[in-house]
Amino acid sequence: MSRRRMSPTLSIESGHVVCAGCNHSLVREGSGWKHAAVLSEVVAASMPGAPSAMHPTLLLRRFSCPNCGELLDTETAMAEDPFLDDVLEASHGGR
Amino acid sequence: MDPITFSIIRHRLYRVVEEAVITLKHVSGSAITNEGHDLMVSLYQPDGSLLLGGVGFLHHLTSAAEACKAIIRRFEGQIHEGDLFLLNDPFTAALHTSDIYLICPIHHEGRLIAWSACFVHVYDIGAMNPGGFAPDAQDVFSEGFSSPGLKLIDRGELRQDVWDTLLNMVRGPEMVALDLRSMIACNNVAKDRMLALVHKYGVATVHEACQTLIEQSESRLRQRLAELPDGRWQSRQYLDVKGEVYKVVLTMTKKGDGLVFDFTGSSPQSKYSLNCTRWASLGGLFAPLFPLLCYDITWNEGVIRPITVIAPEGSIVNCTKPSPVSVATVGAIQSVNNAACTTMGKLLAASEKYADQASAVWHANHFAIFMFGRNQRGGESIGILTETFAGAGGARTFADGVDIGGEVPNPISRMANVETIEAMFPIRYLFRRRLCDSGGAGERRGGTGGEMAIVAHDAPDGGIHYVLSGKGSKFPQSEGLAGGSPGAVNDYVWVHAPESLPQDECFAQALTAIPGRKEPVSWGVFPLMGDDALYVRWNGGGGVGDPLRREATRVLQDVVDQTISTRAATEVYGVVLDGESVDEAATLALRQSMRGSRRAKELAR
Repeated sequence: MSRRRMSPTLSIESGHVVCAGCNHSLVREGSGWKHAAVLSEVVAASMPGAPSAMHPTLLLRRFSCPNCGELLDTETAMAEDPFLDDVLEASHGGR
Repeated sequence: MDPITFSIIRHRLYRVVEEAVITLKHVSGSAITNEGHDLMVSLYQPDGSLLLGGVGFLHHLTSAAEACKAIIRRFEGQIHEGDLFLLNDPFTAALHTSDIYLICPIHHEGRLIAWSACFVHVYDIGAMNPGGFAPDAQDVFSEGFSSPGLKLIDRGELRQDVWDTLLNMVRGPEMVALDLRSMIACNNVAKDRMLALVHKYGVATVHEACQTLIEQSESRLRQRLAELPDGRWQSRQYLDVKGEVYKVVLTMTKKGDGLVFDFTGSSPQSKYSLNCTRWASLGGLFAPLFPLLCYDITWNEGVIRPITVIAPEGSIVNCTKPSPVSVATVGAIQSVNNAACTTMGKLLAASEKYADQASAVWHANHFAIFMFGRNQRGGESIGILTETFAGAGGARTFADGVDIGGEVPNPISRMANVETIEAMFPIRYLFRRRLCDSGGAGERRGGTGGEMAIVAHDAPDGGIHYVLSGKGSKFPQSEGLAGGSPGAVNDYVWVHAPESLPQDECFAQALTAIPGRKEPVSWGVFPLMGDDALYVRWNGGGGVGDPLRREATRVLQDVVDQTISTRAATEVYGVVLDGESVDEAATLALRQSMRGSRRAKELAR
């Protein structure tokens, strides 16, 4: 069974994007995986070290594996902005 | 060509550029050049395309190529041996008016065989604010002298009328003259050394070596791209000016041996001067591409060929004349740079072979404060606080980022000693040090940024003024990777001193200890007068990986070193400390609990 690396926290196995830590299947490869992850949003201004000037509604989105709780990815975003969409093509390519 | 000769010529080309850089630094009298290394020297082919990219700010390697091409077009039939050209128009090729290109044709036996080009951020360019950054400029016409190309030296003779006209339009003409002379000297050295190379090996042999180098670079980059997985990666940068939010949005697609950077979705051009032109965007993405994907490949035209850029006209990354652009280098260009760094980090991290080359975003936001006013010797001083170049390393997949560790787009950036800056301006530092909790959290922590505070000292006018173009104080820009958090943001605080300041409070060692009313500032021109203080902090690098995976002993060491707080140790890293040791049982329980809390949340859909 082939397993390809997608990121340090995600792999592709048997045509699915899976958590690299526990192999939990998230979505079929070639599509956005973040909608299948657990999302926690923190107001960035509340984080340690954030100064008072930080935008009050800026969010730190944290996407975790619903099975093992591993943090898979983060992104900063205003609430109205879509998830950043990272897709590894199913076709060939290097390793 | 035999490989020994090829290798010698290749190394000699590097030495040509290196010696020219040394000349530039030694002749220049500006701290921004000889301390901060805000400079660049490169060699170009007779058609203006990049022959050998040098060090310094890498944004300029491709823009100076466009400058060479613009000079070739404008002066067709009038380019002679001994000429030297100047170009600084952002809508022709330059990044902003302050970064002047001096471009020198190199002839051998009457035939044009190459160009050398260099830039420095000149002492002043006659913009509405001293130093060149004009945050409140409404158009490029308020941003100083701007030339789409002029001949400064004609067949070895300085055109005194042009020289005098240029210096008549700037503040501190003697310093600008020194900047220009440093670039003339730099080009002279580049030309002499290039000709020495040609004399030794012959034009044909050197030309053959250069063409081989370019073909080799293209082939090696295409081969590297082919080894990397195909896919699409996105990143997004926010910038803030006076409450208005702008975005630079990037989708990078890698297919086969090509790479497409598409900035569709980025904000329309701004009325503020953080916009950049198309050429500047190109430079902005190549600045991280050269060191991240081509660290072992010669930087030349061959590296540019596999890359495609889409930058919508009229957007913040491809603005139209007369949009203001004076803050571009630390505005949209830097965000292009950060966005490209993010997507290339993701691409590398997706590869088994190249994962250890992946990095979170390094120092992502120059604070770029220009000070100006009468100095302690009665003369005028204009200049940048070079801490803006101090930077912070992004975490790698195998190691933490380097604290105050420089930046990707300028591999030789650095800051001056405190004493150097105090000698230049009538100011005194209260403190300058690493900034706690500024490195992005992660299994691999981002390098810290720094913080500092200054007050006026021995100032004949009671103080000094400064120009602040602090976009990004509301949004972190050093993105993390694979679960790592972004580095902290810049911050600028004007502390209004109380009417009576006790002597023992004149040496405060933290922002909280500086007496007075604290006012956040970020954009415009401000005074530093009397006993008031200016506090500045600069951003850290992004982190890599889940912070809960960071070894607890490393977290403890971070707390001991004051690079992270005990609050962050607990709330972000899930480490419980008991004095100067780790409570391992409590840490295990807390980390399990934090992972459990994550699982208990809703799916993102």
